Order: sequence, then structure tokens, then C-alpha cells
Amino acid sequence: MKPALCFFCLLCVSVICTAQAITWPDLSQLEPDVRDQIKSQQDILISTIKDTQSTTAKLSAAYGAMGEIYHAYSLTAPARECYLNANTLAPKDFRWIYLLAKLDQLEGRVEDAIRRYRTVTSLQPELVAAFVNLGNIYLELDRLEDARANYATALQKDANSPAAHYGLGQVALSQREYAEAVDHFEKALTLAPDANRIHYALAMAYRGLRNPEKAKLHLAQQGPVGVRVADPLMDRLVQLVEGARVHLIRGKLALEAKRYEEAAAEFRKAIEARPDSVPAHVNLGAALTQLRDLKGAAEEFSKAIAIDPNNANAHYNLAVLLANEKQHQQAIVHLQAVSRINPTDVGAQVFLAQQLLHAKRPDEALKLAQSLYSTTRSLQHGALVGSALAELGRCGEAAEWQRKLIARAVEEHNDELQVKLTTDLQRYESCRP
Amino acid sequence: MGAGAALFDYDNDGDLDVFLVQSGTLEPGSKPGASGGRLFRNDLEKQKLRFTDVTEKSRILANRYGMGAAVGDINNDGWPDLYLTNLGSNQMYLNKGDGTFEDVTKSTASDDPRWSTAASFFDYDRDGWLDLLVVNYAEFSVTNSPNCYAPTSARDYCTPRVFRAPGNRLFHNRRDGTFEDVTTAAGVDKEFGHGLGAIAADFDDDGWIDIYIANDGDPNQLWINQKNSTFKNDALLAGAAVNRDGKTEAGMGVDAGDFDASGTDDIFVTHLMEETNTLFTNVGAAVFEDRTREAGLGMPGRRFTGFGTLFFDYDNDGWLDLLVVNGAVQLLPELIRKGDPFPLGQPNQLFRNTGNGRFVEVVEQAGPSFQLLEVSRGAAFADVDNDGDTDVLVTNNNGPARLLLNQLGSRNHWLGLRIVGKNRRDMLGAGVDVVIRKNQILRRRVRADGSYLSSNDPRVLVGLGSTTQVEAVRVRWPDGNLTEFKAPPVDRYTTIKQ
Repeated sequence: MKPALCFFCLLCVSVICTAQAITWPDLSQLEPDVRDQIKSQQDILISTIKDTQSTTAKLSAAYGAMGEIYHAYSLTAPARECYLNANTLAPKDFRWIYLLAKLDQLEGRVEDAIRRYRTVTSLQPELVAAFVNLGNIYLELDRLEDARANYATALQKDANSPAAHYGLGQVALSQREYAEAVDHFEKALTLAPDANRIHYALAMAYRGLRNPEKAKLHLAQQGPVGVRVADPLMDRLVQLVEGARVHLIRGKLALEAKRYEEAAAEFRKAIEARPDSVPAHVNLGAALTQLRDLKGAAEEFSKAIAIDPNNANAHYNLAVLLANEKQHQQAIVHLQAVSRINPTDVGAQVFLAQQLLHAKRPDEALKLAQSLYSTTRSLQHGALVGSALAELGRCGEAAEWQRKLIARAVEEHNDELQVKLTTDLQRYESCRP
Repeated sequence: MGAGAALFDYDNDGDLDVFLVQSGTLEPGSKPGASGGRLFRNDLEKQKLRFTDVTEKSRILANRYGMGAAVGDINNDGWPDLYLTNLGSNQMYLNKGDGTFEDVTKSTASDDPRWSTAASFFDYDRDGWLDLLVVNYAEFSVTNSPNCYAPTSARDYCTPRVFRAPGNRLFHNRRDGTFEDVTTAAGVDKEFGHGLGAIAADFDDDGWIDIYIANDGDPNQLWINQKNSTFKNDALLAGAAVNRDGKTEAGMGVDAGDFDASGTDDIFVTHLMEETNTLFTNVGAAVFEDRTREAGLGMPGRRFTGFGTLFFDYDNDGWLDLLVVNGAVQLLPELIRKGDPFPLGQPNQLFRNTGNGRFVEVVEQAGPSFQLLEVSRGAAFADVDNDGDTDVLVTNNNGPARLLLNQLGSRNHWLGLRIVGKNRRDMLGAGVDVVIRKNQILRRRVRADGSYLSSNDPRVLVGLGSTTQVEAVRVRWPDGNLTEFKAPPVDRYTTIKQ
């Protein structure tokens, strides 16, 4: 950790008496691309400080830009120092106050966050995000009327703000005003149909209205994507980010939201930034699988394995693709790799046993299935033993084994499996494949 | 991740002894848990505490990468047995009653070789024998550990989502010294999650014990007992799977208790910083509402990563308070900047129940240990010095365990109950209604589970405030029977036998 630079302190005395010394974070552990990006912004800041011709506005902008880069990479403490200087030098520039408030909110400095957001709303009354953020904080503090007022103001500024409707829905839900909550959540969902987390809130509201059918309907559609408020300042931070890791995170978020094209694009950018990124290749493979580009997906999994032969996910995913293409022998190779890397992965072993059966290697399948069953005592794994015995032509043994499993399934009230086991038993009894 | 601790009276001398679980370093080639878990005998005399390390004498050999501990009398002989969860095979230690334990993992068939975390003993089929739930965390091994990164792009600990969730295991006690794996038969293999916390309680108040599992990054599970040796996960519709925003959170520690004196058990789950710790209020019949912010628990939880937690009445005023022990899981930039070699330390928090559905953080009253920045994980709760208030044993990663003695609770009146069966086994799962007067009933239960990877005092300690008399105690035994005991004495422990 380097202390504040000494020359800066001198400049502070001679040129900008109000700016405070800032610390320079240790960048040694960061990704090279990220480090270079931050360093280059630091160089700009230093030269702006050194330049005796620098105006206050220019210096404020340089501090602000530095803060944004730090903030984008979650280096919040140095970001705060830079924003504070930017704000001191340009007190009417709402951007730095807003971003300080975001840091306050993140770090739980609630009163500071409220104070700063309020200042922002007076300096930039059209910034809807400030009102929504204020509403969110008040909601968290259970100050429901303050929350409601701020969401309402946000809606006055932007009648199509899904975040404001969602907030009002949450206020109503807190007050057990379920019909009102449904109304706002429905509006939010119409405005932001991708935000599938709204379905959960709707489900809870319908549950409150004693409508379990509708509640279940929405629960079936709920997912991980929340409502976002239009926030140009925070969006700008996202755009600042470079480096493989960040594209990877964006790609994963897009993947979770089922935006596969976008996910693939982000993973490709991650690979561009770091060609040996195994997770980027694996995730690109996953996105391409969803986009039905199976050839491309297989290539990405293969590249991941070439870089890291011990990546179990790449082996497993490639095995799934190969199995779907009925290339069972090759799938087996990769599943065996998964089992070697992660011997406790039961799912992979079950899959391997199934592939061994498909590949007409029932003796190996039997051995594996018996080992699995002895460990887990799972009926599904027991069924694999029956299949392998039948495949080996040991139909009598298979049938006898199957009857025992069926008895257990009956005892355990496992109706679904009981039906399947019984169907298989009929095949074994007639020794049909 | 770990580790927890157990407070249990292994020698049946009337005071709570300590078992501290040890994890250790985990790197390729290292020997995890080489230091081993330790058993300390409590030699309490006239409320003066003294502990003696009796590990070797006890024959407990807990030298694996330890996670947690659960306590229950598996053979109904009146001596509490010890189950240890590990990264790798678990260990079941049978209490021989002579100060020694025997490793019966193999003969009882109660092992789970995966990465186990929480475990809970409870009698799900009302046959009078304790069954066992084992919660598992992730399909992890040193060889399949990928590189993970913080938002700064620096290397950091991985989130659990990097690893597959392995599923949990339910063992049925066969009453012959062995357990049967009934995971599939009971239906609890139908949902997966990265499990860390578990609690067994009768959430729907039907007299059958249910299970709640706190998952790290996956929806939590509420397994409702179907009364036929099967369970059904109903957490999502019940409103206890995710927070009110529909977000899955990083569930760590968990507890259940009737904090609002409504007659139903509510649930509290601790989470990562920037998430809230979440309070799910049971509005009846296992229908929950996330009332975290209404209870004043939203903002205070966002600052820290919570692990061990329990509903307990620290000031014996009759209302269940909350303690949360904290410690980050990802490196804290402000501590890195200060040159902290283990930059994960955070202070612990005590919340007083104000009796109107709200909690307030009480740092000043809690004492100087709540100012420390440590990486706390487990928290076991018990009246260690038998003075009528609940003390707390906190375990810390890379630091000493701390025993926090309660100096406040015994200023109020209290009722201490040990609820035992015919063989003097603590009747885990029994419900206890303390009738102070008509329309003033405090609902508690006999339990040792809850918190994080830890085992707690099975005795029921009920704060009475200034009340000096209790009208009756009603015990709902795990087999469904109900017994009422009139006017139990206060300010002392009383044993109630079935």
C-alpha cells in the first residue's frame, strides 16, 4: 500500500487548497488489463494535478473520472476519496454527490446516503434514479410513507418507471394491501417483462389475496432477474469496465436471464481479453449450447480442456453434447475424466453408467452401478444395476433384482419409480432388450 | 467455512462441557485438521468455571477437516452422543457413559463422505428414537478448485455456485444401533442446495417435526413432515425460500423461535454482507412473511456476513432476542488497506427484542467483545455456569474461541427445564408452553440444533422478567402426547420426565 504522494500534498497547498490527499491502492493483485486501465487514469490525474494551468473544473473532472474507474472495480475506499475531492472542487456537480450516495448506500451509511440523494434531487430533479434509490432506502428502514412519496415522485418524472411501480408494490405488500400490490407489480412486469423476480412478489401478493392458484402460476415463472432503475451514472461505470473477469460476470448474468446471444458476446469479449480463460470458454460453450450451435459449443469445451485438462465442468458438458450425438464412447472418456477429477460426483457416475450401457459395455456399467448402489442405496441407482444385468443377458437375475427394488419402492411410497421399475421388469421377464 | 462447537453434558454431571471443532488449512498436500477437535470437561464448582482438556481420555479422534457438531442420544441410554461433520467422511461417536466415546460411524452406517455441514437429531416418525439429518454443502475437492476473482479482478474465495450442490441425507434410526439411509424414500432428495444451516421444528404446528434448511445461494427448503415418513418441500409458496424481493440469499446460520409470542416458530437466517439477515415470520400453519425490515433487522445485517445465530432471551425479560456472529468470506478492502494479514474480521451483533415485533441493536450493553473484529463462525448457546441465563461460545477462524458469560440475565427471574424421556434422554423436539397466567403463554421447544454448525444446550431456559410464579408447564412430547405440570419452581432447573 503506497501512502499519498508527497508532491500532491505540496500542490494541495499551492494550487488547490480544498482537495484532500488521496491514497493509491495496491494494484499488484489485479488482472493486467485492469491494472493498466487504472494506472493510465492515475497518470492522467497526476498530470492534471501537476499542471499549474489546470482549472478547478478540470481537476474536479479528473478526480471524478478516477473515482469512477475505482468504483467500477469495487475499489470503494479510493473511489470515495476521489469523489469527495471532485465534489469539493465542483460542489454543484450532482454526479459526484450521486456516486458518493451510491457508495454510502452500499456500505450501509444510511443517513449520509439520504442526505446526498436529497441534494442530488435538488440539483438534478429529473434524475429518476435518485428518487427510486431514496425510496428503496426508506423502504428498507420501514419508513413506508417516505418510501411511497419518493416512488410517487419518480413516477411523476417517468410514468413508465418499472422500479418505481415495483417499489410502490413493495410498500403495499408491507402494509398487506395486496390488491394494490398486485396492481403495481403487474404494471412493473408489463414495463419490464424480463424482470422475472417480479413474479415472486406477485405470488406473495396473490397468496395474501387467498388466490393460491394465481400465486402458484407466478411462482412457476419467477426467476433471478430483478427490476432495474434507469441509472445513466451507474450504467456509465459498467461501460468503463474492461478485462476478462468483468465480461465473464456480465455474460453469466445474461446467461441466467436467458439472453444467450448477449451472453455469448460477453464471453467472446472475455476470451479476447484473456484467451486462456477456462471459465470463459466453458461458459461460451454453455451459451452456444443454448443457441443450438453444438459444434461451436463442443469446440469451446475442447479448448477449455486443452488449457486445463482437470476442468470437470468442461468434460461433463462435452460429454453431454457427445451423448446427445450418440457418440457414447467419446462421452465415456470425458465422464471418466470427471470421475477421476471429482470422485464424489455421483451425478457424473450415474451418467457414465448410462453411457456405458449405451456403448454396449454392460460389464463395466454393472460394476459401476453396483458400486454406486452400495454407496447411495438409491433406487434409481439400483435400477441401473437391473439394466446392466439385463444387458448382459442375465435376465433372471435382473428380474429378481428388480422385484426387490419394486418392493422397496412400494414400501417407500415412491409411486413414480415403482411404475418405471415395473415396466422394466416386464422387459427383463421376457428378456427383451 | 467452519467450524462450529458443541455445548453438551457428556458426563451427565449437570453442567455443559465443550467440544470445539477444528478445520485447518486446505491446500494441496496439506494435512487438514491436523490439530484436531478438542473436548473440554466443565468442572463447574459453585458457579466457578474451570475446563479440563479431556480429548485423549475421551478417545475422540477428530483429526479431519472438521465442520460441525450435533448432539443426540442415539441409543436411548441417557448419554448424549456426538456426530461430527467433516469435509469428507463424518464421525459418529457413541458416549459409553464412562467418560469415553467409541467411533461407531461404520457400525451405525451413519457416514456421509461428502462435504457435510449442519446436522440435526430429531424424531421424525415419532417412534421414540432420534433420526439424523445431514446437510451437505458442495461437490468440492482440492483438485477441482478453480480460480475465482473478486470484483476488483484480484484472486479471491469462490462462491458455492462454482460447485455442484450434492444433496442432503436423512438417516432413520433402526433402534438396533444402526441407521438406514432413507433420503430417497423420505423424498428429501428431490431438491438440491448448497446447505449450511438446518433446524428441525414443528412449523405447521401439527405435532410432527418439519425441517428447514438454509442454503448458500440457493432457495432455502422447508420440508413439511407428511406424517408418513416422507417430507415435501413447500418453502417457495410458504414464503420462506427466498427474501421478499424474490432473491435467493447466502444462507449460513439459521434458527427458529417464537420471537413475537404468537404461538408459532419464526425463522431467522444469516447471510452475506450487502444482503439482509432475514426474518421469516410464521403467520400460522407454516405460512411465512419476510418481515425483516419491519423488525428493524434489515440495515444492520447489510454491513456484515452473519454465521452463528440464535433466538435466546439474554436479559430474561420473556422476549427472544437475537445474537449474530459475523466474519466476512471475501477479503475486505478496508482491512487489506490497513495491512491486516487475515482481512475478514467483523464485529458480532446483539439485538434486543423490544416486544413489539422489533429488534434494536445493543452494542453498548453487549460488552467489549462485541467491539472485536474477528472472523466468527459458530456460536453455541447454553447456561454454562448454571446461573439461570444463556451464555454463548463463539468460534473464530484463525483465532481463539470465546466464551461470553452472560452477566445480565440472572437479574431477572427464570424457569429452567430439562425435559427428558423414560431413559433420561433429552426429548429433542418436545414443545414446551410456559403458562405464566391465562393468555400469557411462552412457547419454547427442546432442541440442540440451530445456529451454525453448532449444538446447543438442550435445556429450556425461559426468562420471566419480574414474574415470580408460573401457573403451569405444558409439554407436547414428540410422540404427540401432552402433559401438564402445575406450578414449577422458578429460578432453578427442574427435570420433567415423560
